[in-house]
Amino acid sequence: MSILFNGRASGASDSAPGLVQRFLMGIVGHLRQAVSSLGELWRSPVWTFVTIAVLGISMTLPATLHVLVKNLQQVSSSYDQSFEISLFLKNDITETDIATLVTLLQGDKEVAKVRLIDKTAAMAEFKQESGFGEAISFLEQNPLPDVLLVTPAQSQPAAAEALLNKLQKERFVELAKLDISWLERLAAIMSLVQQVVYTIAALLLCGALLVIGNTIRLLIMDKKAEIEVMKLVGATDSFIQRPFLYTGIWLGVFGGFLAFLVIELMLYWLRGAIANVTQLYQSGFVLNVLTLQEFGMLMAIAVSLGLVGSYLAVRSHIKAIEPS
Amino acid sequence: MLRFELVSKSYPGGFVALDRVSFELQKGEMAFLTGHSGAGKSTMLKLISLIERPSAGRVVINGIDLSGIRSGQIPYVRRDIGMIFQDHRLLMNHTVFDNVALPLVIEGFTGRDMARRVHAALDQVGLLDKARCLPATLSGGEAQRVGIARAVVNKPPLLLADEPTGNLDPDLSKDIMRVFEAFNQAGVSVLVASHDLGLIARMRYRTMTLKSGKMINDGLLHSEDAE
Repeated sequence: MSILFNGRASGASDSAPGLVQRFLMGIVGHLRQAVSSLGELWRSPVWTFVTIAVLGISMTLPATLHVLVKNLQQVSSSYDQSFEISLFLKNDITETDIATLVTLLQGDKEVAKVRLIDKTAAMAEFKQESGFGEAISFLEQNPLPDVLLVTPAQSQPAAAEALLNKLQKERFVELAKLDISWLERLAAIMSLVQQVVYTIAALLLCGALLVIGNTIRLLIMDKKAEIEVMKLVGATDSFIQRPFLYTGIWLGVFGGFLAFLVIELMLYWLRGAIANVTQLYQSGFVLNVLTLQEFGMLMAIAVSLGLVGSYLAVRSHIKAIEPS
Repeated sequence: MLRFELVSKSYPGGFVALDRVSFELQKGEMAFLTGHSGAGKSTMLKLISLIERPSAGRVVINGIDLSGIRSGQIPYVRRDIGMIFQDHRLLMNHTVFDNVALPLVIEGFTGRDMARRVHAALDQVGLLDKARCLPATLSGGEAQRVGIARAVVNKPPLLLADEPTGNLDPDLSKDIMRVFEAFNQAGVSVLVASHDLGLIARMRYRTMTLKSGKMINDGLLHSEDAE
């Protein structure tokens, strides 16, 4: 559009009438600028490399911690599975009472599984395992109670505790027991670790943001003369900004990919050591790597850091450059 | 086309660059602006291209008061004005073609349409064969003509030149002036600031003379005045 001269043909909009064609032209223009921004990065390889390295490393640390937390959660959740509430039943109840109670519990939504260890079976097991076999056979009657092992449907300690309190009040139950404190501690530590990870991540990413902003600022200063000329021949600020924003995006892409590579290499290197440990503990632990979704997340964060960092630099510095 | 109404420009510190200057340039007219350096020539051109704003008075182009132009609209105003500089201000790491194409790229031209216009502009200044050269390989006169091609490539109705022959020898200066004459004959309004009085006098166009910010002469300049 021409402001001064009404009706003066100006701009490609007058020569390319089709809306679709203009849209395609726009896309082609953007692609061209994206590619030329990539080429622009090659012109100052040292700064580019330093910036990508800073971004990559800043992303690697929180992402590694994230993987660590994820694997710890996997370990702790395998413990969650195994926690059970032991219900010691009263001595004087009949087998029908027990059967009723089992049916009742199985119908409860909060209960995942009920297993009965009756006193005879418990005695036999105890005899075998404890090594008191002979001494026990002198007992006149079985001192052990019947026990119900109840697995809560929800694996959070809080839910398990609520269930425990409820079961405690059952008529046939002498004592209900759940060793939960260590699980609570584990959960608390996990959430602490998670918060530390997030705080460190936020700080590191702020640092990365500043480094990207500074790199873009240097690029802008480097092209000061060129920007002045562009302003003189009628380029808008947003036109001048665009290549720098693309540069920021490219920095993000490379930085994110670098972080991904470093994490994968590290996990690959650790895998052997972890296999040794898990073998010694006879555990079925499998090291969790980054999923595709997490990789996408990593790249998205890196690219938006690049974009925001360059936008912050561009917004203040391009406006400040005026031809004189 | 271009009108100054009692325009003054003073800078912080009290220096008065222009003092109540008025004139009007008609559509399709060519005029020279002359005076010693520091007389206010550059300031006048900067007020037209909105690099500076006047302290008082109005600058009007085609009936539109430039004081009403917001900073976001300045780029669009500049697209209507072709500007030529003494130091030609070419992008040194881009080819002649890319330099001339810059205003078109900014306006969204691409491909064959753009190339056709760039070649036409280069043809008009006689540099079609240098399209693939870098500015560093050109002579001073050639570089200046590339600057002119860039200024006219999107066919602006108004052409401003600030000391376009400042660094050139007399023969080349004459060539450059002929290029301006050719554009003027094609209907473009041209305003050339220059202190090359001898050359201006020979060209026999309207000449405005500035002295310490005041317009002291507006009309034909005769060779004898130039001494």
